[in-house]
Amino acid sequence: MPTADASGGGLHIVVCAKQVLDPDGVNSFAFWGRLQVGGDGRSFDTGEMVPRIINAYDEQAVEAALRIRDARVDCRITVVTVGDEEAGAILKRCVAMGADDAVQIVDAAAGLGDGFRTARLLAGLIAELGDVDLVLCGRQGSDYDQGTVPAALAERLGAALVTMSAGVAVEGGTLRVVRVTPRGEEVVRATLPAVVSISNEIGTPRYPSSRRMMQARRQRPERREASDYEGAPGAVGVEVTRLMVPDVQGHCEIIEGGSAAEKAERLMAQLHERGLLGG
Amino acid sequence: MAEHVLVLVTAIEAGGPLRDADGEALGAAQALARERGCEVACALIGADVAAAATEAAERGAGLILTADAAGLAAFDGGRSVTIAAEAVGRAEARVVLIPRGPDVLELAPRLAARLDGASVVGATEVRTASDDVVAVAAVFGGAARAEYAFRAPGPHVIGLAPAVAEVPERRPGRSAPAVALAIPEADGRVRTIEAAPDVSGPRLEDAKLVVAGGRGLQDGENFALIRELAQALGGMPGASRAIVDDGWASFEQQVGLTGKIVTPDVYFAVGISGASQHMAGCANARCIVAVNTDPEAPIFTFADYGIVDDALDVLPALVRLARERGA
Ligand SMILES: Cc1cc2nc3c(=O)[nH]c(=O)nc-3n(C[C@H](O)[C@H](O)[C@H](O)COP(=O)(O)OP(=O)(O)OC[C@H]3O[C@@H](n4cnc5c(N)ncnc54)[C@H](O)[C@@H]3O)c2cc1C
Repeated sequence: MPTADASGGGLHIVVCAKQVLDPDGVNSFAFWGRLQVGGDGRSFDTGEMVPRIINAYDEQAVEAALRIRDARVDCRITVVTVGDEEAGAILKRCVAMGADDAVQIVDAAAGLGDGFRTARLLAGLIAELGDVDLVLCGRQGSDYDQGTVPAALAERLGAALVTMSAGVAVEGGTLRVVRVTPRGEEVVRATLPAVVSISNEIGTPRYPSSRRMMQARRQRPERREASDYEGAPGAVGVEVTRLMVPDVQGHCEIIEGGSAAEKAERLMAQLHERGLLGG
Repeated sequence: MAEHVLVLVTAIEAGGPLRDADGEALGAAQALARERGCEVACALIGADVAAAATEAAERGAGLILTADAAGLAAFDGGRSVTIAAEAVGRAEARVVLIPRGPDVLELAPRLAARLDGASVVGATEVRTASDDVVAVAAVFGGAARAEYAFRAPGPHVIGLAPAVAEVPERRPGRSAPAVALAIPEADGRVRTIEAAPDVSGPRLEDAKLVVAGGRGLQDGENFALIRELAQALGGMPGASRAIVDDGWASFEQQVGLTGKIVTPDVYFAVGISGASQHMAGCANARCIVAVNTDPEAPIFTFADYGIVDDALDVLPALVRLARERGA
């Protein structure tokens, strides 16, 4: 990934985004005991009842890119996705938010949970684009929660990696990144080219205007095939071989009582009796 | 040398012992090593790792690999990955286990990618099936679980969830050969310019009792009741992501998939609905207490005790009782 002189020709930012089943929909399906595994044994059968949406962390990565532009950095923003035919739909939203270009790599093997394959395809596309300085990804997919892509992509591209970002600024050809750590926020400086993964602390992404939505609807993303970049079809890293939906059997003892205070008292007595309140 | 199942421990703070998570990883490694007919190796990357190294040997590691430098007390991105990669080579490891911790999400896939391997993080189960390892990890925050097979030529790197195995017993005096790993220059591409606050106080992850609040608290000010109850019971306050996003609580207090994983004796979930992503952070508590106005709330399927009532009535009563007990 050769880096352009950031002060000169403008910065090229690539945002990687994926389509996922809406996690809230999956949660409520699970809660009502209706989450089922499909005939292939490794994907959900929600009877098309759960919508497919952009992974929320990736939408926040688009927002991070747009904030760089808001800060008057001369830049071009390209969103890319790897997924099946339908997955291209999320790109329209990204363009409506303000991205300049969109590219979809159509991959029949997407959805089997192999982030290493996705990273390989994305690295191939980014090499082809040639002038990419900064890659932004969501911290993880809200489906498999593995967070493989940013890390594997940085390794493949030989780029610097900063994970868990709550804010990215471009300053004089380098990055200033606020990171979320278990102890609080830290700030790092990173050289370009770099891959930065964006965490939810960055805040709510902007809502595209209806005018931009209309415009974006007409724009067709550029299309590539997985076979343009892959060595071999199928999994290259890991492969989900089976999905299992746990059978959660409740065992909750509801504490009854005439008032909140009475229930509180009975609860404390129970916990105390079981020695759960220490000393 | 021959194959070892490698346990990779990073960011050991000066002179620190092994953490519970490290011990559990040694336990999980032992089980796999038995099935593979090999031994366990343990790599210790940190500052002043001697005490941890002794303990790893006493808990059954047959080979100790150390990288000891002041700058390694915190995970150091590319440099830690380079050291880890050498450890994999030295141990001739096909299977690498990484104890849970904040850096796994970066270390596991990066190490795997560098060595043309593959990774799975958050593994709740690791076992041998037809001569290879298989890892099981939660998907959609725990609404379901996926079984992963490894398809890469390189090492299988697995980040572990809590409680995958018992910590092996410590046998004082047991020792193992030790090899020092090369320590490369720091990766100058990423430099910390403002460090995270140096909080050396108690950690939510270690708390024996956690009182967590959610949107059911109605208003940010009511989080004070959560803090009061936690304090009165000698525990720590926690929060759902919803109220962290709303600014009622701080990110360091967030429990869940994208927050802290806690394992207290008692976990109070007050005004928390019980979404899978929240439960991913507290499901291993010994006892879960739910307070919620909605008897149908999912949290009651996970709780041991439930109170169906208004949090704002129950919390003051609990605070009063806890204070009376303490007095
Ligand atoms: C990828 C991803 C990662 C996520 N990571 C996390 C994470 O790490 N941690 C996390 O917590 N969430 C996480 N979430 C969000 C999670 O899915 C839920 O949205 C969130 O946990 C809900 O928070 P809550 O329970 O406080 O709010 P709600 O779901 O709004 O629940 C509020 C509850 O309060 C009850 N209530 C209302 N009034 C009262 C009252 N007066 N007294 C008592 N109870 C009352 C209601 O009945 C309800 O059950 C994540 C989501 C995604 C998609």
